[in-house]
Amino acid sequence: MREYAGYIPHIGDEPIETRVLTFEKNGERVEVEVPLLTVEQLNKVIEKVKQASAQFLKSLSVTEIINLLDRVMEQLLDRRHPYRQKAEQVLPIVTGYDEEMVRLGLTSYFKTFRKPQLQRFLVEDLENPLLLDDFQPRPKGGLSKAVGPDVIVHVWAGNVPALPLWSLISGLLVKSGNIGKVSSAEPLFAGWFARLLVEVEPKLADCLAVVWWKGGDVERERAVFGQADVVVGYGSNASLEEMQRRLPVTTRFLPFGHKLSFGIVSRSCLDARKAWHVAHQAAFDIVRYDQQGCYSPHLFYVQTGGIVSPKEFARYVAHELNCFAKRFPRRPLSLEEMAAQASWRQREELDVLVNKEKEVLGNEAGDWTVVYEPERREFAASCLNRVVKIVAFDDISQIISEIAPYRAFLQTVGVAASPKELFEWAEWLGKAGATRVTALGHMTSPEAGWHHDGRFNLRDLVQMVDIESAAEAYAEQFAPYVD
Amino acid sequence: MRDKWKGAGKVTQQEIIESLLQFINQETSTEEEFNEHALMLFAYQYENNLPYRTYCMQKGKTARTVKTWRDIPAVPINAFKELTLSCVSPEQAERVFMTSGTTRGVRGKHYHPTLSVYDHSMIVNFRKRFMKERDKIKMGILFPTEEHMPNSSLAHYLALAVNVFGTEDSHYLVDRDGLNMDRLLAELEQAEQSGEPYALLGASFSFVHVFEELAKRGKTFRLPEGSRILDTGGFKNQSREMDLDEFYDTLSAYLGVPRRECINMYGMTELSTQFYDDGNETVPSVKSGPHWIRTRVIHPLTGEEMPKGKRGVLVHCDLGNFNSVTTILTEDMGVETDGGFLLLGRVQGAEAKGCSMAVEEFIRAAKGTSE
Repeated sequence: MREYAGYIPHIGDEPIETRVLTFEKNGERVEVEVPLLTVEQLNKVIEKVKQASAQFLKSLSVTEIINLLDRVMEQLLDRRHPYRQKAEQVLPIVTGYDEEMVRLGLTSYFKTFRKPQLQRFLVEDLENPLLLDDFQPRPKGGLSKAVGPDVIVHVWAGNVPALPLWSLISGLLVKSGNIGKVSSAEPLFAGWFARLLVEVEPKLADCLAVVWWKGGDVERERAVFGQADVVVGYGSNASLEEMQRRLPVTTRFLPFGHKLSFGIVSRSCLDARKAWHVAHQAAFDIVRYDQQGCYSPHLFYVQTGGIVSPKEFARYVAHELNCFAKRFPRRPLSLEEMAAQASWRQREELDVLVNKEKEVLGNEAGDWTVVYEPERREFAASCLNRVVKIVAFDDISQIISEIAPYRAFLQTVGVAASPKELFEWAEWLGKAGATRVTALGHMTSPEAGWHHDGRFNLRDLVQMVDIESAAEAYAEQFAPYVD
Repeated sequence: MRDKWKGAGKVTQQEIIESLLQFINQETSTEEEFNEHALMLFAYQYENNLPYRTYCMQKGKTARTVKTWRDIPAVPINAFKELTLSCVSPEQAERVFMTSGTTRGVRGKHYHPTLSVYDHSMIVNFRKRFMKERDKIKMGILFPTEEHMPNSSLAHYLALAVNVFGTEDSHYLVDRDGLNMDRLLAELEQAEQSGEPYALLGASFSFVHVFEELAKRGKTFRLPEGSRILDTGGFKNQSREMDLDEFYDTLSAYLGVPRRECINMYGMTELSTQFYDDGNETVPSVKSGPHWIRTRVIHPLTGEEMPKGKRGVLVHCDLGNFNSVTTILTEDMGVETDGGFLLLGRVQGAEAKGCSMAVEEFIRAAKGTSE
């Protein structure tokens, strides 16, 4: 099977070089042809996108843009639509994730980009979405307008399917020209989305481009970044640093680094009836995209003193993971990933010989691993791919002091607790650096309008133009109708 | 022979040592003979080393369920850091070899109550694989002496090499201040003029330093025929990483020793026996050990043996490890081939696939925050 990634506006008849990335899963093979543009071709693309978006995209009202996106989402949510079918068929092979998991994931994800959700998204960030269309009166006096950049360059990373949508849709809502670079781990979805959008509104044909180059390509990155107003980068801190080095100082850089998320379970949820349900939700957050998302849990803190002990809870989670292993099998791991996992697990197993209270649970095939620890001396990352620690705690302050050194890396905390605890803990967690508190079972599906890594998705992209009240008053003096 | 051990009741360390020394002296051994010794050692280690027994029990293995050397639970090399793997009290060890420091600063310890087995294993194997037809050769050692590094198994290995197989005028070329370049140049010039074969042995990264120095001085040598090189350890995490082909090409270009005479030794602090290749004309070269060590290539998660030709993680069963554990699980990737295995390098931490933090990145971050 051969698929074509990317989306390039028409820039003449000069042929575009391609590279082939090969993906294989359980004997099924997909060859993905990705476009590798020369610097000259990239320049042409950027110029074209800049012009077309200035002429057409910027002439649309934000409501019109929302309506277009809504129509795209309607099609993507329709399981009979060819693009949707393609996504369901090909993305599991490319990313390795279980088919059913991808299907469910896509649906819940696309749902967050329908009209009402996008409207909420806008209001969340800008309060008055009309700011994107026109000068709006401000409480302080005067008027303001939110102006999107001419060109936003997105550097996407990772293999979580369709992840590029967040930033690409944000870029469209602020009426910018968008150039997106897809990752080699999931190069397809962004291009499909672009083609579908252009099918819905052919006049958008030159307003966006989806390209590819090998991450860290100095020549191409310099050339492209130099012409962007804003660069949105995803990746490890090391690769973000590299990117930043290639940016002119006047270009705004919005880096989204790798993050650490975790869960907390209060003793108030740990009775015989509720604990199973909570364990199921925790396991679901672990299984969804095999913990590859920034919002996926590395560990769960479980409070002592409930009817179900943290150690028992660990076994509940283990049981749930074992069930999920059948329903949504883990994606096939590379030998390197397996070896990393084996060595992580061996270290834990050796530690059990010294710390008798500790427990390592897993099945023969190594589909999942749960480690129970009675207490922790230090916060540690999981090797992911369905490996999780369940750590006992007594008081929230213990957790806070353990996570304190990692404040810059914290993101989502999945909380199972009573309302009183939820608000009390959220206060502590927010101070410690976490930016999102959600329910267990929802860790991997942030709601529309969430503040990704604590930031404003749209507001960070635009710049405000103020007409101060003085200017308004001053102009009155020069009006032809002045008395 | 197995019955002999059974009949004798509990075997003593002395009996084990004697039997191993004899076994090593054999020209080859059959699977059955190897098995007998491996199982005898397993029973002895299971009996006399509580941490190992606990580990075996955790793995669901006992002396009763282990039927062949392949069933012996392999101990991850990390265990040498966490546990005391010795059948005698550690204070009784004649020598303790330690791994070099790690991220957490804990060093793995390998206890040797006597070095007689280690030494005999090294000598018999080294003669066959490195010395070949010669009894003695003039050696230059690119590594500190045993006195400088008493806990380094490599220092001991090289000391044995030079003491047993080196001529009187062999020299160490590394001292407290590092590589003694003047000494090395003098040695190489002298060797070139004398026409007598010369052997340069040392850590791979020391050779890289030698290249840099020779390049600076614009010197190359043509060592006499019969000269040879032994490098070991690889050069990951050193100032300069080299590709294997480039390494042996450079070696050959600077010293005039053909690549087929450049032998790489693969050894570990956690073992008592070494592997060698038959030169590095092509890389990666096939590595093999003597008849008292056997290697399996396993699937990292299930532990099942990989079919020949498929990549996996290496497990070595070294009968020379009579006091610690015979069978260790390495962090080295390899593939079984005819006559041995290919070493494909160390298992590297997997890079992040998605946008969640990978362990390696976390460790770097954790270091950053503690500094």
